[in-house]
Amino acid sequence: MLEFLDSPRVLHGIYVLGSLTLFVIGLYGLLAKRHLLKILISIAVMELSVYLLFVGLATSPGETAPILSDGLRAFAGMADPVPQALTLTAIVIGMAVLALGASLTIQYHRLTGNADVTAMTELKDS
Amino acid sequence: MIKLLFFTVSLTPAATLLGWGEGLAWPLFEGVRLTLDLTPLSAFFLLLLAMAAPLVALPMLRGTADSPAFVLFGLLLLGMQLLLLAGDFISLFIGWEIMTWSSYLLLLRSARTDLETAQSYILFNLLSAFLLLAAILVFYRFTGHFEIRTAAGLTDWQEILLALLFGLAFLTKVGTLPLHLWVPRSYDQAPDAFSAFLSALVSKMGVYGLVLLPTLFPDALAGLLGRLLDGPAAGYLLAWIGVVTSIVATFKAISQEDMKRLLAYSSIAQLGYITTAIGVGSSLALGGALYQALVHTLVKLLLFISIAGIVLRTGQRRFNDLGRLMERMPISFFGVLIGIIGLAGMPPLPGFAAKYLIFVSLLDARWLLLLAAMVLASTAAFVYCYKLIYAPFLGHANSASAKTATEAPWQYLVPQLVLMGLLVGLGLFPGLGVRLLIDPVLIALQMDPLGSPSWGELVTPYGGYDGVVLMVVFGTAFVLVTGLFFLLRGRMRRAGSPYDLSYAGEVPTAETPLHYGAGMGRELRRIPLVGWILRHSTQGFYAALVRQTRTAAELLSGFYSGNPQAWVLLAVLVFALALQASIGGI
Amino acid sequence: MALPLTPIWFVALPLLVAFSSPLWARLRLLMPLLLGVPLTLLVLAIALHPLVRTAPLVETIVIAPPLGIHLQLDSASLLLIALIGLASALVAAFLWLGDTEAHLRGRRAFVLMLLLIAGCNGLVLTGDLFNLYVFLEIAGVSAYALSALRQDAPALEAGLKYLIIGSVAAVFFLFAVVLIYLQTGSLSLGAVASSFGEIPGPMQILIGLLMLVGLGIKAELFPFNFWVPDIYQGSHPAVASLFSGILVKAFLFVLFHLVFVLLADPEVIRTWLMGLGAATMLVAETVALRQQDLRRMLAYSSLGQVGLVTLALGFGSEATLAGGLFHLVNHTLVKLLLFLLAALMLRHLLSVRLADLAGLGRVMPLAAGLFVLGALAVLGLPPLSGFVSKLWILKGFAEAQVLWPIALILLAALIEAAYYFRWIKTLYEPRAQMQEGRPLGHWVYAPVVLLAGLLILLGVAPFLVQDLFIEGAQSLLARDVNLEAMLGARP
Repeated sequence: MLEFLDSPRVLHGIYVLGSLTLFVIGLYGLLAKRHLLKILISIAVMELSVYLLFVGLATSPGETAPILSDGLRAFAGMADPVPQALTLTAIVIGMAVLALGASLTIQYHRLTGNADVTAMTELKDS
Repeated sequence: MIKLLFFTVSLTPAATLLGWGEGLAWPLFEGVRLTLDLTPLSAFFLLLLAMAAPLVALPMLRGTADSPAFVLFGLLLLGMQLLLLAGDFISLFIGWEIMTWSSYLLLLRSARTDLETAQSYILFNLLSAFLLLAAILVFYRFTGHFEIRTAAGLTDWQEILLALLFGLAFLTKVGTLPLHLWVPRSYDQAPDAFSAFLSALVSKMGVYGLVLLPTLFPDALAGLLGRLLDGPAAGYLLAWIGVVTSIVATFKAISQEDMKRLLAYSSIAQLGYITTAIGVGSSLALGGALYQALVHTLVKLLLFISIAGIVLRTGQRRFNDLGRLMERMPISFFGVLIGIIGLAGMPPLPGFAAKYLIFVSLLDARWLLLLAAMVLASTAAFVYCYKLIYAPFLGHANSASAKTATEAPWQYLVPQLVLMGLLVGLGLFPGLGVRLLIDPVLIALQMDPLGSPSWGELVTPYGGYDGVVLMVVFGTAFVLVTGLFFLLRGRMRRAGSPYDLSYAGEVPTAETPLHYGAGMGRELRRIPLVGWILRHSTQGFYAALVRQTRTAAELLSGFYSGNPQAWVLLAVLVFALALQASIGGI
Repeated sequence: MALPLTPIWFVALPLLVAFSSPLWARLRLLMPLLLGVPLTLLVLAIALHPLVRTAPLVETIVIAPPLGIHLQLDSASLLLIALIGLASALVAAFLWLGDTEAHLRGRRAFVLMLLLIAGCNGLVLTGDLFNLYVFLEIAGVSAYALSALRQDAPALEAGLKYLIIGSVAAVFFLFAVVLIYLQTGSLSLGAVASSFGEIPGPMQILIGLLMLVGLGIKAELFPFNFWVPDIYQGSHPAVASLFSGILVKAFLFVLFHLVFVLLADPEVIRTWLMGLGAATMLVAETVALRQQDLRRMLAYSSLGQVGLVTLALGFGSEATLAGGLFHLVNHTLVKLLLFLLAALMLRHLLSVRLADLAGLGRVMPLAAGLFVLGALAVLGLPPLSGFVSKLWILKGFAEAQVLWPIALILLAALIEAAYYFRWIKTLYEPRAQMQEGRPLGHWVYAPVVLLAGLLILLGVAPFLVQDLFIEGAQSLLARDVNLEAMLGARP
């Protein structure tokens, strides 16, 4: 009954819709939330949506993960390995940025007692 | 030691003038090559520079050595030489800019310079410079080269555009109306000796540019819009700009209470005459313009240096605070006396010859309305000239410092004496000036030389005069009148009697603050047109411009709000709009 | 040991030295190395110059067959590499000789700065879109951390703000990279470029816009550059000088490199880029009029110059490109000079607000004089180098018979003069006494004076270096040669 979902077009469409929804949610959080950590999380959600889009669209139904093990010696019937590798790298980088952001936020909070993005008014036009 | 070095540096223009060999060239970068060469026109202005530089340098040597000022003055001289020797527009522009910023920095050496003055000075001068650069680039676009030579094959509107851009650039430097805002302020507030240089030479570079203009376009100004009466129509406009400038500036000068400001306005007025003459554009007129440039340089150097001496000794600049300096500073008195005679254009000094040439050229072009207006301006100029000699030197000393002042130091007196000598000499031999200085330039500009039968004579198609005779007559008259005055003085003293009006009230003692020239020029405000001129200035317009720019800055700075969410929102909005615009359009 | 002189060193050397920092810290070699590494890279760049003149140098390091790191060194990127080396060496010398604050001389600053250098070099060199993203993040992360290095409230605020906006830029850029991969199945610039024209039109526009937003934020173009003044004000001026001097330049270069390589006909985007550049320039110069803090003023002025460079590079004729590249170099030198002077003033007077700087000419005559020199160079007044590059750009426009940019550039210069000269006037304001901080040694001025000397030298004798810029411009425009070189080196 749900076989139509297996056709690449539909599946990819769902992936696109899903990741775009995620992207918009992230964007909403980025624009509407005032807490620094929530903003960082929103950015992470946006990044995530891009990763999902990448991996999702690069994989067609029926392909397996491109891992060479258990006697598999060639990339047959597997998804394109490049997006997966790239996404892994991107996740690591995103992780690092997020960690830096979180640590800065914590320090900022310790120093000033607030974590509200609109309260950061030390630097402005005079 | 530093002073000696500095004085040597101030002699470099003279060295350049005398020792110039063939042209120099310096490759700047791809396709731009600086060439330097000495033409008769640039030699004329270089001569002015060579004369003035050491004379201004001498007063600057007094007191503790101000080495930054010395360096800047050296740079200024370098820039001006580059400007004058330039064989291509890029070198001209480089010289122009070096002159602009080094003179600005020199202006800052004075403690009196305030922010508005400094800003107006640099902004107007940079406006002039950037207009010049724009003109140069437009010129390059039309002709494909940067050399200063006749541009052939331009269409009419191209020529008009170029003439407009170049003209505006040079007129700003000259300080004609309505672009003169920066002149009185900066001449007033600059270091005293440097004011002389600003007025006498830096402004002349604008004149140099204006004289260059006719050489750029084959038919001079006549080719632009046709002819009006016997002169070029485009020049008619320029001539009117010049005359209006001189009239307004003259009346402004009369109503000044401050010596240096008065000189500044008079400087604007004098340059107005030159502008008018360049507008006429005939060989007589250009001869007159160059002659006037020469005389104005000498006169303004003399006056500003004499005044600088007074300011140095008394610390006062306002007329009301001075008086009775004739006995205390006799040489300065003679300096100012000779200066104002030259300034007013009275015979026997060469100012007369210059004005005579300009008047005759206006007559020749049959621009009689302009002639009348100019006569008005130059007659009114007598009033401020009179004020300049009367207020500081005669009458009643009004401040403690004016009562104890002594003669200016030798560094100020030597230039004064030299300049007085030059002015008298040039007054004796107006024909010499024409032969040596003016005619070579006119010949190089492919115009008829003025010519003169002998050193002493100045001739024009409308008659001339002999400087020697004139000088002898005036000299004799002067000696006679002075002699009679001193002879009769003893009796004149007794003229006052108890029945005189002054005895009706209190007899003013030496302590009473009293100035015969007080309020002079105030009555001018009652004259209908003159009053209107005096009440209005362009300041309001420029102030409004500044206000508008500030408001714009404030509005635009709203973007830079300091809130990261606003930044992201704006970026996303722009992105969405651009996407919509470009994809929706397909 | 014979090490091959290849472009990889430009990235690898700073990374290696950075990651072995505990060793250097123990040996007390941090500062010498911070100076030595960029200098080595500069020497290496000069050594590679004759090689690059003949043909672009392409290097591929294969990790696994489809994955590899492509590095491409042509005349234009060599110029940028040399500039980055020179600029960071000068800043390092300033930090070392200047006895600056401890947090800038510690291990963290050492590591972060080398990472920044590696990231910038990588950005300039890489011939691969995903690596571009990686280097963008390396440079970005080190920049965020450098901003926050002082760890007081303004610095942390600057770091956080930078991190937020920088991450958004990275997401946009990553999105574009993902779309490109999905469309073309390749990430190497050469391969992407040859098949970019086959992507459907709307998708091309979407990718282009995503990239423009991502790189526009990083390269400080107008509707995306609102973060800049805050960050420059919050960071230490020496760090800000690195941002303005090398980081922005690297991103600008990347932007235009992509434009010239990806688009067969850059004309389609010319109006956009020129419009962005002009808007950046005019808006920034106008807003700078009302700034009261030297660092903010310099930030706006930096934006204005970036706008000018964008305008020139966006037009894309050979003369404006060469002039634009020259201006890029000049602007780096000038902004280094001005920001380092701001650092000195900040240390000496504990404030760089306009009102507090009045009368500086008497307390720090050398600093004030050099500030004047720098201001003249920014304004493009002769005989300093800014004049030559501006003239070159303007001449390029005049040659191409396009006059409106000339008018705008001159107008912007006039506005710029209005605020720079206001600052200069204030510096020479007569004032009785000033509060003074720590006294400065003489050696502090050495790097700054060197910069000033360079400005004068390049202004008087630009023909010494003009070939570099002309070659750079030609190599940017020579799309076919570049593509051939890149494709030929593919495994």
